[in-house]
Amino acid sequence: MMEFGMEGCPGSIMQDFRQKDKETKEESGKRQSQLKQWPIQMHLVSPEAPYYQKADVLLSADCVAYSVGDFHKDYLEGKSIAIACPKLDKGQDIYVEKLKSFIDDAKINTLAVMTMQVPCCAGLVAIAQQALQSAKRKIPIKSIVISLQGDVLSEEWVQ
Amino acid sequence: MEKYLNTPIKELITKFPKVGEILEKYDIGCVPCNVGSCLLKDIMEIHNLPEEEEQELMTRIAKVIYPDREINIPKIERKQKPRTGEIKYSPPIKRLVDEHVLIKRLVALIPDVIKSLSVDSEQDKQIIRNSVKFIRTYADKYHHAKEEEILFKNFDENLDILKVIREDHENARAHVRAMLEGLDKKDKKEIAEHFNAYHELLTEHIKKEDEILYPWIDRNLSITQVGELFSKFNEADEKSDKEVIDSCKKFVKELEEKMQNSKEQEVVK
Repeated sequence: MMEFGMEGCPGSIMQDFRQKDKETKEESGKRQSQLKQWPIQMHLVSPEAPYYQKADVLLSADCVAYSVGDFHKDYLEGKSIAIACPKLDKGQDIYVEKLKSFIDDAKINTLAVMTMQVPCCAGLVAIAQQALQSAKRKIPIKSIVISLQGDVLSEEWVQ
Repeated sequence: MEKYLNTPIKELITKFPKVGEILEKYDIGCVPCNVGSCLLKDIMEIHNLPEEEEQELMTRIAKVIYPDREINIPKIERKQKPRTGEIKYSPPIKRLVDEHVLIKRLVALIPDVIKSLSVDSEQDKQIIRNSVKFIRTYADKYHHAKEEEILFKNFDENLDILKVIREDHENARAHVRAMLEGLDKKDKKEIAEHFNAYHELLTEHIKKEDEILYPWIDRNLSITQVGELFSKFNEADEKSDKEVIDSCKKFVKELEEKMQNSKEQEVVK
C-alpha cells in the first residue's frame, strides 16, 4: 500500500491498494444482489416505506459498500438500507429526524451503522445515537467500523 | 484425540480425574457440574478461550490421556473470534447482567444473615421471609423468567449448556422451599444449610452466566434475534409490578444497612 502525502484530512489522503489484487484469489461465479428496495439515499428514503416496518435497518456510510468485498452477502442480506455521507451531505438534521421516525413510527427492530475508519465517518454513529436519544422507543444500535481495505476493525453494540 | 473430543465431560473426568484439575486451572468448572453431558469439543467452543490458551489446555489434556504418545491437537471449529479483554454484551443480555447485580448484593449478605439468625426472633424470621420473597419475585419471576420463557426459546432446549442452567434454577427453587420448611419448624440448622447452599449455588451460577453462558449466547444470536429479545424484555418489564420490583431493591438496601450496623456494633463491643 502506498500513501501519497500525509497532510490534511485523514479521510482524503490518497492511498494505492493495487498490490492487494495480486495477493488475493479471483473468484468465479456471479453473486446475487441483496438489495430489496429503492431508493436508498437518506434524503430520498421514507420511513413509511413498507420495507422499513419492523425491519433490521443498515445505515451505511457511502464508501462502505465499495470497500467491503462481501457487503451484500455479509451485511445487506435480510436488511433494509439507507446510505449517507456524514462528511459531505447537507441537511443532516433531517437525518436525525428521519432516523427518529424509523425508530418510533416504522418501529424498526435494530439499527446497524457501518462506517469507514476515517474520523469524519464517526459522525454517522453520533447521528444515530442522537436520534435514539430523542426517540420514544429504544432499540439496539450496533456500530461496525471498516478499514480502508475492507476489513472489519470493530463491531460493537453502542446502545 | 477425536474420540475424546466427542466424549461427555463427566465420563472423561471420571476416567481421567486430572482432566478436571486441568479444566479448573483454566476457570472451566466442569468438576462440580451435576449434568456433565457437554462434550469436550463443545466445552472448548462455549468457553471460547484465546487460541494459544486453548491449544495449551488441549495439549495438557492429551498428555493425561496419552502419557506416552505425541498427539496432534485437532483444531476446534469456532463461529467467531476467540475472546479477548473485557466482555461486551448486546443490549438485552447486558440487561440480564445488570439484574444480576442486585441478586449478587442479596447473595453477598447471606453469610452474615445466617450468622446472626435467631429462630426465636420475629425480626430475624421476617428477614428470611423477605429474602425468600426477594428470591421468588426478583431473582426468579422477574429475572429467571426472562431467561427461561424468552431467551432460551431461541435455542434448542436440549442443549447441555441450557440444561445445566435450568438445573441450577430448579436447585435454587428447591433450596428456597426447604428454607421455608425450616422456618415453619423453627429449625435454624435447616434454614442455614439451605440458605448457605443457595448462596454457594447462586454465586457460581451468576459467574457461569456472566462469563460463559451470556457471551456464548451473544455469539450465537443474529442481529434480528437481539432486537426481538430487546423488545420482549421491554414488554416483560412493562408487565411486571414496578412497586414490587422497587420494594425488592429497597429490601436489599435496608438489609445491607442493617448488616453493616450490626458489624459496626460488634466492633464497638
